[in-house]
Formats: sequence, C-alpha cells, structure tokens
Amino acid sequence: MPFTFSPRSAETGMGRSPHGPQSLPGIDTKPVSLPDSPSGLQRKETILPPLRKTVSVLTRRSIVMGGLFALTLAAGAMTGTRTLQAAGTVNILETGSSLLYPLFNLWVPAYTKINPGTRITTQSTGSGTGIAQAVEGIAQIGASDAYMSDALMKMHQGMLNIPLAISVQMVNYNLPGLNQRHLKLSGPVVAGIYQGRITKWNDPAISALNPGVALPARSIIPLHRTDGSGDTFIFTQYLSFSTPAWANSVSYGTTVSWPAVSGGLGAVGNPGMVTALKDNPYAIAYIGTSYQNAIEKDGLGIAMLKNRDGHFVLPDARTAAAAAAIMVPKTPKDQRVSLIFAPGAESYPIINYEYVMVNRKQPSAGMAAALRKFFNWAIRADGGNAPHFMNEVHFVPLPAPVVKLSAAQIAEIQ
Amino acid sequence: MTASLRAATAESGARPRPRRQNRVFTFRRLTALLAGVVPGSLIVIVVFLAIYAWPAVRFNGLGFLADNSWNLGSLYGNPITVRGQQILPGAHYGILFLIAGTLLSTAIALCLAVPIGVGAAMLLAEGVPPVLRSWFSFFVELLAAIPSVVYGLWGYVVVIPFLGHHVYPFMVRWLGFIPFFGGPAGSGYGLLTAGLVLTLMIVPLITATLRDALVTQPATLREAAVALGATRFETLWTVLLPAVRRVLIGSSILATGRALGETMAVLMVSGNALNYLPGNIYTPISTMASFIVSQLDSALQDPTGMAVRSLAEVALVLCLISIVVNSLARFLIYYEGRQSGRAA
Amino acid sequence: MDATAVDLRGAGGLLLRRRLFDYLGWGLSALAFLLLGGAMLWILLVVFRRGVGALTPTLITQVTQGTGGGLLNAIQGTLVLATGGLLLAVPPGLAAGIYLAEFDHGPWAPTIRFLSDVLVGVPSIVIGYFSYVTMVVGLGWKFSVAAGSVALAIISLPYICRTSEMAIRQVPRAMREAAYALGASDGTVARTVYLPMALPGILTGVLLALAISVGETAPLLYTAGWSNYLWTGHLTNEPIGYLTYAIWAFITEPFASAHALAYAAAFLVTLFVLVLSILSRLALDQNAGWRRRRS
Repeated sequence: MPFTFSPRSAETGMGRSPHGPQSLPGIDTKPVSLPDSPSGLQRKETILPPLRKTVSVLTRRSIVMGGLFALTLAAGAMTGTRTLQAAGTVNILETGSSLLYPLFNLWVPAYTKINPGTRITTQSTGSGTGIAQAVEGIAQIGASDAYMSDALMKMHQGMLNIPLAISVQMVNYNLPGLNQRHLKLSGPVVAGIYQGRITKWNDPAISALNPGVALPARSIIPLHRTDGSGDTFIFTQYLSFSTPAWANSVSYGTTVSWPAVSGGLGAVGNPGMVTALKDNPYAIAYIGTSYQNAIEKDGLGIAMLKNRDGHFVLPDARTAAAAAAIMVPKTPKDQRVSLIFAPGAESYPIINYEYVMVNRKQPSAGMAAALRKFFNWAIRADGGNAPHFMNEVHFVPLPAPVVKLSAAQIAEIQ
Repeated sequence: MTASLRAATAESGARPRPRRQNRVFTFRRLTALLAGVVPGSLIVIVVFLAIYAWPAVRFNGLGFLADNSWNLGSLYGNPITVRGQQILPGAHYGILFLIAGTLLSTAIALCLAVPIGVGAAMLLAEGVPPVLRSWFSFFVELLAAIPSVVYGLWGYVVVIPFLGHHVYPFMVRWLGFIPFFGGPAGSGYGLLTAGLVLTLMIVPLITATLRDALVTQPATLREAAVALGATRFETLWTVLLPAVRRVLIGSSILATGRALGETMAVLMVSGNALNYLPGNIYTPISTMASFIVSQLDSALQDPTGMAVRSLAEVALVLCLISIVVNSLARFLIYYEGRQSGRAA
Repeated sequence: MDATAVDLRGAGGLLLRRRLFDYLGWGLSALAFLLLGGAMLWILLVVFRRGVGALTPTLITQVTQGTGGGLLNAIQGTLVLATGGLLLAVPPGLAAGIYLAEFDHGPWAPTIRFLSDVLVGVPSIVIGYFSYVTMVVGLGWKFSVAAGSVALAIISLPYICRTSEMAIRQVPRAMREAAYALGASDGTVARTVYLPMALPGILTGVLLALAISVGETAPLLYTAGWSNYLWTGHLTNEPIGYLTYAIWAFITEPFASAHALAYAAAFLVTLFVLVLSILSRLALDQNAGWRRRRS
C-alpha cells in the first residue's frame, strides 16, 4: 500500500533532519505543544490510526476500481481490435430518414453477411439530419426522402442525390369506430385542417367528400413532425401543389413554419407520429408507408387521397406504380425531382424517391469502393430492391431507367 | 537555520536546487496555469457563442425575444439579402414561446419544490433519529443523481399515460374554475408534466442544503426556543427556518439554475410546441434547452447558416440567463457568509 | 410556579391550537418526504422491473443490430467516453482544487472559484452545441471519442475542482507548516502531505464526475454520434455508442426489441449511478468519521 502514513515515508524527499527522527514534529513522538498550531499536533493519536485505515481502505478501493476500469477498457479495446480484421474493414455511418430506416435495418444484416468487411451503422434521425451530416462528411450516407435544394447544391457541389427505392406516404387518422373505413380526403381539405380553417371532423368540407359517413363533432388534432423531416417535405409539397393558399403561405420544406392550430402536437420521427396518433383520438397525421404494419396493428385509419385527376386512391403498390410510371420519365440526370401529385387516374399523389446523399469525393479509395459496392447491390432487383425487402416496407422497386441513372451517379463516387 | 539546512541537504547528497523565487516553473505557477483551464473553458464557450451568434443577433434584433415565430423560411427557395444578412425568403426568428416555456416550467417546478423541499428538510433535520438521518437523506439525494434521460424514460412510459388519462381530466373537472386549470386536458404531454418532473429533479438540491444548514444551527438557538416553551416544530418554524432564510433563497436560486438547463427529461415529456404560447397548464411547451436539441439538425439545412446562428443565439441567451442566476446565488451565499462572519 | 399553572389551565384553547399546528406541520413535512420517497421508489421500480425483464445474456455479449441485438457496444462506449472525460478533467480540476485550497491569496483564486461555480450551471446542451461547432465540424474531428471526451471533461471540471478543494482544505494546517518548516518545496508538500491525506475526498469528486458522465446524453448526441460496432481505437473520425443514446432513441421506436434495449440500458445506467453514489457516500462517511472523532 503505497500511501501508508509512516514516520519513514514522512522523511523521504526531505532529507534527514539534523535533529534526528525523534524530533520530527507531529510524528510518532511524545506530543509537543506548539503554541501557534494547536489544531493537529496534540491529537495526533486520534488522527493517525483512523486516517491510516481510511486512506488504506479507500486507496484499496480506488485501486480495485481503477483496476476494474482498466480491465474493462482493455477487454473492450481488445475485442474491438480483434474484430478489426485486415485493412479491408470499412466503417460506414448511415443516418437520416426515419422512413428509410426500417429498410436499411433489413438491408444491413443481409449485406454484411455477404460482405463481412463492411460495417454499417444505421440511425433514424430525420432527413434533415441526414442531409446535414452527409454534407459535412460526418456521416458517409445521408438518407433522405427529400432531395437537396438548389441553394444547398450550389454550396456543396460535390453531393450526389441517389435514389435507391420509391416510397409512399400515407395520411392517417384515429377516429374511434371509423378506422376501418377509408375516409376520403383531398389536398385542400387537409391543408385547411393544418391551417386551422377546418377544426372539427364533421366540418362540411369533410362531410362533402364522405357522404353517408357519421363524422363526430370533435376537434381535429393535427400532428406534425418537429424534426427536419423528408416526410414533412413530401407532405407539404402535396399540400402546396394541390392548394394555392398553402403554397403562398407555408410552402414546402423539410422544416416549415406550421400554422399555430390549437391542440396541434409535434412528434419526433415516424415512430413518434405513430405513437402520438395512437395516443390521441381524433388526430390526423402523415406517416411513411414503411410503418404501415404498425398502423394496421394499432388499428388506425388510412385515408384515400384525391389525386390530380380527381379520383380517390389508397396508398398501395398498384397506385404507387401507376404514379411512378408517369413521373419517372421526367427524372433528370441528377435525379432531383419531385414525384408528388402525379397525373393519371390511378396515381397515388404522395410518392417520392428515397435518396441517399453521398459526397462525390470520398477520403479514401477503400471507402469509395465499399460505398459503390453497397449502392450497386441496393439498386439491383436481386439485391436490395428484391421483392422480399420491398414488400416488407411497402416500397416500390426502382424502375429500370432510374436504375440506370442511379448507377451512373454511383459510378461517380471516387 | 538556512545554513544548517543547506548543510543538511548537502550532507544527504541532494542536488542543490535554485531558490524557489528564482525558478520560472514553480509549482505555484504551474498549478495556477493548469487551474486556468476551468475558468478558461467557460470564457471560451461564452465568447465563442457570442461571436458565432453575432450575425443572428444583428439580424434578429430585439424582436428575437418578443416575437412568437420560429420560421426558417422557404428552405427550397433562393437566398435573399435582408438587413445586410443573407437569409432564406420568409425567415424570421422569434423565441417568445421558448422563453415562456422555460420560465413557466421552472416557475412551476420552483413553486412545488420549495414547500416540498422545506418540509422534507425539516423532517430530516429534526424529525428523524440521527442514526437514520444520513440514510434517509441519501435516499432523497439519489433523486438528484438519476440521469435526466432516465427521468424522461419514466415520464414518457408511465407518467404521461397516468396523468393524461386519469389525473388531468379529473383536475379539469374539479379544479377547472381556477384560471389556467381548465380547458382541454390534453394528452399528458405539457407544461404541468414538465414542471412535475423538474420538481423531482431539483428538490434534493434544496433539501440537502437546507438540512445541513438546519442541523448546523447553534444549539443555543434551539435551547432558547425550548426554554420559552416551544414544541420541536415551533422551534423549527419560528426560529430555525428564519435563521436559514438566506440559505433557502440561495439554494432555491441554484435549483432554478438547474431547472433552466434541463434538456432530455423535458424533451421527452413536454410535447415540443412550436410558435404558440400555452393556454393552460396542460398545453405542450418547448424550453430553450430542449429546442436546441430538437432543432439543430433542421437548422443545419439552411444554406445561409442564419438558422444555426439563431440557434446559437438561443444557446447564448440560455447561457447568459443561467450565468446570471448562478452568480446571484453565489453572491447571496457569499454575502451570507460574510454577514455571519462579521456577526460571529 | 402557581402563576404558571393558572396560565396553562386558562389557555386550554391556545394549547390545542398549538398542538394542532404541531401535528399539521409534522404531517405536511412527512407528506413531503413521502412524496419524494414515493416518487423515487416509483422510478426505481419501473426501471428495475422492466430492465431486469429485458436483461438477457445476449445483451452483454452482442452489439446493437439496427433496433435489436445487444448493448455491448454501448456499454463499452460509455466506459471509454467516461474514462476519456475523466482523464482530461482530473489534471486541471485537481490543479484548480490545489490552487484554490493552498494559494488563495490575491485575485486569481476567487476568480477561478466564481467562474468554476458558474460553469456548473451552464446547461450541458450548450456545451454540446459548442463542441459540435468547434470540434466536430470546425476541427474536422467528426463524431469521435475525442469530441465526446472533451465535452464530458468540460462538464466534470467544476465538480472535481470543488470537491478536491474541499478535501484539501480539510487537511490540518499544521501538517503543511511542519513540512514547510523542514524546507520542503510546494511540490513536495503537495505530493507527500496533503494530497495523500485528501485522497478520499478527491476520489469522491472523481466518482461524482464519473456518475455525471455516465448519465449525460445531450452533449454526446452531437459529439460522439452513435455506432453499432465496438470501438476500434480511433480517437477521431469514428463515432461510438453509449448507453444513454439507446434509452433516448429506442424507446420511441415501435418495436418491442427496441424497447427492451431501452429498458435494459436505463437499468444499467441507473444501477451504475446508484452504486457510484453509494460508494462515494461511504467514502465521505468514513472520511468524516475520523474528523468527527477528533473534534
């Protein structure tokens, strides 16, 4: 025990006193009364034994704790370095869209099984975060339901927006007793709800769309996303394209200034929207289709939306594919395009590309190669776009021309 | 003495070292330098925030504290120049609802924490046998040790359903006549829930300091009261508590400081309001600290950077408020120390 | 004596009122204490019951896979970040404590003390935001152990400073005077006289800082990021996991496996903090014991 307080150790470092050890004040001799320091000296007998015990006990404890610490740390570091195989191991951080998150969680185990040298960490933080961190290089893959704005592209010219799948967004509601029937809603009506112009479920505007349905005279609780969200982007685009009043006041974006509606609630992430919708009867929300299983399990309602041609359609594979077929040919080379409010009798109005934001220039050739390999696997119909992945999250696989465009962008990652 | 000391060191073979005053790197100076990291980090943080937020301060002006609109503008529009700063069209930053949310939740927490804290401190100081005192107090102090995010988890999972489904409707029905206690009972996320969770987190601060202060009051005060016929509780209430009044104020202010800066627990139970003031105590709110966490990534989307700098301005305002509150508490405690020192 | 007896008998009503006030007062105080104790027990009950229910062997042997799997990476990450934070915080904090206790002449010491006390009150999210802008983005460290450790260190500094100052002040002056009288230099006095004697108090401060570091979330969200894998030893450019992230992120996911991770992480964090608090309390009691005996 290195800190035992003994007379010998008191002498070290100080040189031997000329008066001999017996007269070292305060240590192990008869009490010496010094008039100006009454505090410690007379009571040295009471100080030393408990102090020695305290110091030794606590030092022992501290050594044990420190040892445990060092041991855990060493164990952790060793397991860490043991899993770090040869120089081929690549660490990729994917962050962003909560809509794409369930799909990524299906992809990663399947992909890493055939490519053990690539380690991908997934996070569900919202498309805004995905874009922001990909742009800074903090995350290698930024997942987003929204493409980057012109201003952002101008500022960060090396960014690629690469679609990996086509996803769909639902408008959901929680009306006790009516959740099994699919209520019909339109863009202007939903915009009116979120702007506070339509406050009750039995408002004439909603009744007009749903003749014969007994709507309750209750206040509507509009739910919106508080984080930077691609779902907000596509939802507000739908409202903007269908309702001029919305386009001129609120417009669209991953974050918008939501009109203050009494009773309106904010939620974080798609899961937060699902939970908030479940906990609040008479609420309405916009949720990505990868959470359709959760919605159906909780017995919540899915609305039929009025598309550009005036027909009411449900969000499913057929209507989404119909919309995609019409909008996809308009995709430019950089693939930044909106698929919202597609014309066509069967088109579902809210579909979008699921993008990953990647920097064209990667810090190392190994990282670039790993990213290219992963993305190329993801867009292939026998890889990430395989039916068993797509059906699980209710997405639509990329049509062939888009696959070609995506492949061309992926090849630019160096 | 010095001569014999020098002789002694020479005799023991120690290397003669220059006199302490002649060395540059004395222990005293080295410690002073290393100790400077502590105040230095505070100064660096405040100065950095001030410099980083300066463009936003210039752009937002005083309306920042008075307006109720946090609007990043049209994120997909092209930047324009307003008042000499580049911003997105329609961008306007006003955080009145944040200030209201922060102050109101802290006020509720304080109103609940002071009586509970004083009551618990009185019980621990006088009502509990000394043998049990240390462990009972420890039990209460554990409330302060539990991490904020665990409070948030507990609040999110059990408290909010309980309050939202059982307590709040009951309160609206029976206490609805009191202003702000009526109106829609909400879903459980809101001002009162945040205030209750904050109360639990700050009560131990008040209880612990107050209990220590009560226990160390001189016995003569107690003896005088008892000699006049006071019961134990009367002694506490009429003699001891007034004696520790300044400690109570000081610790309450410290507790306020802690409540102002709480992030995770409030984030998970407050409902994340945006751009509106609460109409009653069950309405969702946002506090400055929770707002920074929830909005940082959205703000990073703004290519002009004004949103991030406005968030930095929020952080600066929060930092300044907590510095003022803490300084006030320290000054009060220091002043109290000086007073009792002079009186002694 | 007779006068007093007459007074008491005549003042029956007053006596009753005082007695009622007494009962009311103690009753309310007991109620306050029971409220606190009840809330504490409720929290512990919820965390422990759901956490123990979610504890499985895979939890401590596997890493997180999406929203399921285990918490090994988070446990390791918490330990790494806490250790890093302490390594960075203890030297300046201890130096500040020594300076404040020993060299408290002149204006520098009160300045340090005041600013250190103010630093305690700065919200941790402000420190996290500052670290994000300066280190993660500004210095280009990205999400990293370095950025996370620095943020934790800034948060822990004032606690270590304050507790070590108090511990060193407890050491009787006579010891130092004796050492100085023998010609010891400041450094030697520190090394051989008061630092060993103040060690229990200093350790209490370190344990306190450790408990705070383990429980922090907001600053780490923006400095350490998150990783599904074990740490590979890089100090920069590599995010790392930590237990509090699992609590915050997974409780909102609608999957039962995610909830299990969140409860288990909450259980581990709370258990760790409780054990640390009990340990430091025991150290403080023992330390106080010998001082009580001498007075």
